[in-house]
Amino acid sequence: MRAGALLFSAALGFAVLAGCARKSALVKFDPLQNAYDTEPDWNDAQRIIPLNYEEAQGKQIFYEQCVWCHADQTPAGPSNRSNVTPAPPLWNDGATLNSLSDAFLEKFTAQGGTAMGKSAMMPAYGQTLTPEEIRAVVAYARAIAVPALRATSRPGQK
Amino acid sequence: MNPQNVRGLIGWVRRVFFGDPARRFAWVSLLLTLSLAVAPTKDFFRQSRQYQRQYSKVIERRPDARALRGRMVSGIHQIWLPDLGILDRCTTCHLGIAEPTLADASVPQPFRAHPPIPHDAEKWGCVVCHRGQGPATEVAEAHETTVAWEQPILPVHFIQASCGTCHLDDLPQAPQLDQGRQLLARFDCTGCHKIAGIDRPAMLGPDLTDIGTKVSREWLYKWLKEPRTIADANGNVTVDGIDFGEPRMPTFRLSDSELQDLSAYLSTRNAHPIRPYHFDPRIVASLSKRQDVADQGEARFRQMFCSTCHSLAVTRAGETSLIGGDIGPELTKIGSKVNPDWLAAWLRNPQEYLPHSQMPRYEWSDADLYEVTRYMETKLTDPDLLADVPKLGSPTKTEIEAGQRLFVDKGCASCHVTEGLSPQEDFGPDLSAIGSRNISQLDFGPAKVQPTLIAYLKSKISNPLSVNPSGRMPQYHLDQASLDAVTTALLSLTGPPSTRGMEKLIVARQNPEFHPAGEFGKLYERYKCYACHKFNGFGGTLAPDLSYEGSRATRQWLLQFMENPQTLRPTLVLRMPQFNMPERDAAVFADYFETAMQSPAVDATLDRKQFTPTMAAAGKQLYEKKYQCQACHTIGSAGGYVGPSLGNAGNWLTPGWIEAWLRNPQALVPGTIEPRQAFTADEIQALTAYLLTLKQSGPANGAAAAPSARGTK
Repeated sequence: MRAGALLFSAALGFAVLAGCARKSALVKFDPLQNAYDTEPDWNDAQRIIPLNYEEAQGKQIFYEQCVWCHADQTPAGPSNRSNVTPAPPLWNDGATLNSLSDAFLEKFTAQGGTAMGKSAMMPAYGQTLTPEEIRAVVAYARAIAVPALRATSRPGQK
Repeated sequence: MNPQNVRGLIGWVRRVFFGDPARRFAWVSLLLTLSLAVAPTKDFFRQSRQYQRQYSKVIERRPDARALRGRMVSGIHQIWLPDLGILDRCTTCHLGIAEPTLADASVPQPFRAHPPIPHDAEKWGCVVCHRGQGPATEVAEAHETTVAWEQPILPVHFIQASCGTCHLDDLPQAPQLDQGRQLLARFDCTGCHKIAGIDRPAMLGPDLTDIGTKVSREWLYKWLKEPRTIADANGNVTVDGIDFGEPRMPTFRLSDSELQDLSAYLSTRNAHPIRPYHFDPRIVASLSKRQDVADQGEARFRQMFCSTCHSLAVTRAGETSLIGGDIGPELTKIGSKVNPDWLAAWLRNPQEYLPHSQMPRYEWSDADLYEVTRYMETKLTDPDLLADVPKLGSPTKTEIEAGQRLFVDKGCASCHVTEGLSPQEDFGPDLSAIGSRNISQLDFGPAKVQPTLIAYLKSKISNPLSVNPSGRMPQYHLDQASLDAVTTALLSLTGPPSTRGMEKLIVARQNPEFHPAGEFGKLYERYKCYACHKFNGFGGTLAPDLSYEGSRATRQWLLQFMENPQTLRPTLVLRMPQFNMPERDAAVFADYFETAMQSPAVDATLDRKQFTPTMAAAGKQLYEKKYQCQACHTIGSAGGYVGPSLGNAGNWLTPGWIEAWLRNPQALVPGTIEPRQAFTADEIQALTAYLLTLKQSGPANGAAAAPSARGTK
């Protein structure tokens, strides 16, 4: 008698649970469909790099302010990089930039070359760009770096 | 089991469970209690609880586990935005979105921190941008389309659409949305569709009232058949195609007889016959004998910088590309298109033929006009242009009448105004709420695409017949990026604000206008200054903003520049056209700029005399050594070309402007790329003094004032 009652309630419980259980459909993840913006690898136009919001904002600022000296191609023709000595690093130059911390690059951008004991040809942007904008430009450099920066070893990551 | 045993079992159950009312009551109560006990069990197995347990395990492995554990709250999380009517429980599973230490890719989803955005995710929640079903606590219900919820989550690739729902103004942070909105305007989608936020301009396609005086019936036939087939061997240059490869005029899939009728109707539209211009016979007599008259015309065409607005296809080393601007139509084969009498009349006064045209009215000498028209008629041609058009002959009455009917039926009148036919508005469906359309409201027709709004929009735009084989929408040809941009812009159109609270959040589009009166106003309209320059927020972006031009440039420089602009900007491809402006017009501009286009930030009383040679010497040191301005600016031939050349700054700029500019460039020209430096007052004085000493003399002002190497700002 007791066993029958127990069986009955157990069956009822399973029925209710089975009704509620739903297969957890995995949301299909496509990195490019889930990117705010994209940028082709500067060295390999076939490879498209996904950018998140912050990196995408950095890209916008880069193409307005920085591209003239930190890239070899600009939206308006040849770059000014060859007129600047010493030549500024390309913004995707991982070999140079990967070893520098975020904090260093942000400070360099904000205070200019002179304050960091480097070329005075790099002006200070701290009064033109906000700290968030400067951080975004650095984040963009990290995203497009060749060789790539390993995510876990991003220096100075807060 | 035999029937007797079954009967025995039923009898036993009846006796034991329902033998008397007390037993019955006891058992039913027990069952009820048990089923109530199941409810917490069901909640225990809920997906969100699984994720919360998983999150606890993930944070245990982090170095800052203690802090993370301290901030974690279990149970349902809820963000309520009563103003927007949004309830959002996404953070029940997305537990780490506001934890900056969980930003890196090693953190598994759904626990990773949200990348920094201008809106606080904890305050605004997720649904406001990502869409989906906010109150759901199961993965599928929250993210996907279900029977009860037809609005799935928006892929991040299209998420800028959500920015556009509230931000009706231009939004530099959302480039794809801005591009899509520009394309909606450029392709004149407002001709047929009502689109909230994009006003229907006065002129979409050209007014066709007198098209018969401009082009032949054969040309019309060819153009109507396929605006893209009037192209070079690579198939990528179009006549009248504004964009490289894509004309604004779409393809209408017309049959041969429809083409015959429409071309017949249009070729007879000539209510106002053109009066052929009579050149001075002496000039014609002397010039027409010369072999190189067309070459002279080409040189003049270049000198006048027609290419600032009009492009030409140029083939170099086997590659064809368009060289020139895109404000006006492309002109590679214009000589095989237009009637020579029309061309001369048009160049003399474009607004007589098209009152809304953006083309400036130039001051022509007979010799220039003759040479330039001869160049366009003889060199910008293609003898094979109309080779594949059948013999059409003169239009018959039946053809003309049928053509007029087609003109209305096909929706031509939606974009093209013609005398006697009122423009049709709302020829296509209203798109103001297309972005919030439910899937059950969409007719996919025979299209084999995923059942989502995004797939529907992309299919419809890339091939309108795919979803509706009898539809009237013409064929556009968009590349993948443009298609995604247009889709993003359409997804942003979610109709009028759903609640009063949302109305308060809408950032309206600013539509500044600047149409001054008086003598200046007339010249401003004549030379169409606003096609390239901005004035108080209104106008084009090709050339420098002139809102404060009176504070910036000296009167002498302005007069010289307007009479002869080209000598001042020799490094640019797109330069100010040579208007052949009379001296009195230049004086009107200079007067107006000096009086009205002044910046309050500039001290106009600053006198050159107060800057001494000692200051200038100190300024030279600062320029060359401390700040190394030569990285971006040239003086003479040395230096960079990011900023304007400063070799003639002393003649060009006023002392007040230089001083104010060095203090804060963005206060004078918002968004200028010159970085603001922390100069001391003495340094500003010294640099101003130095720049004022930089002067070039004589008519060859050299690269004095090229505003920027970019040619756009």
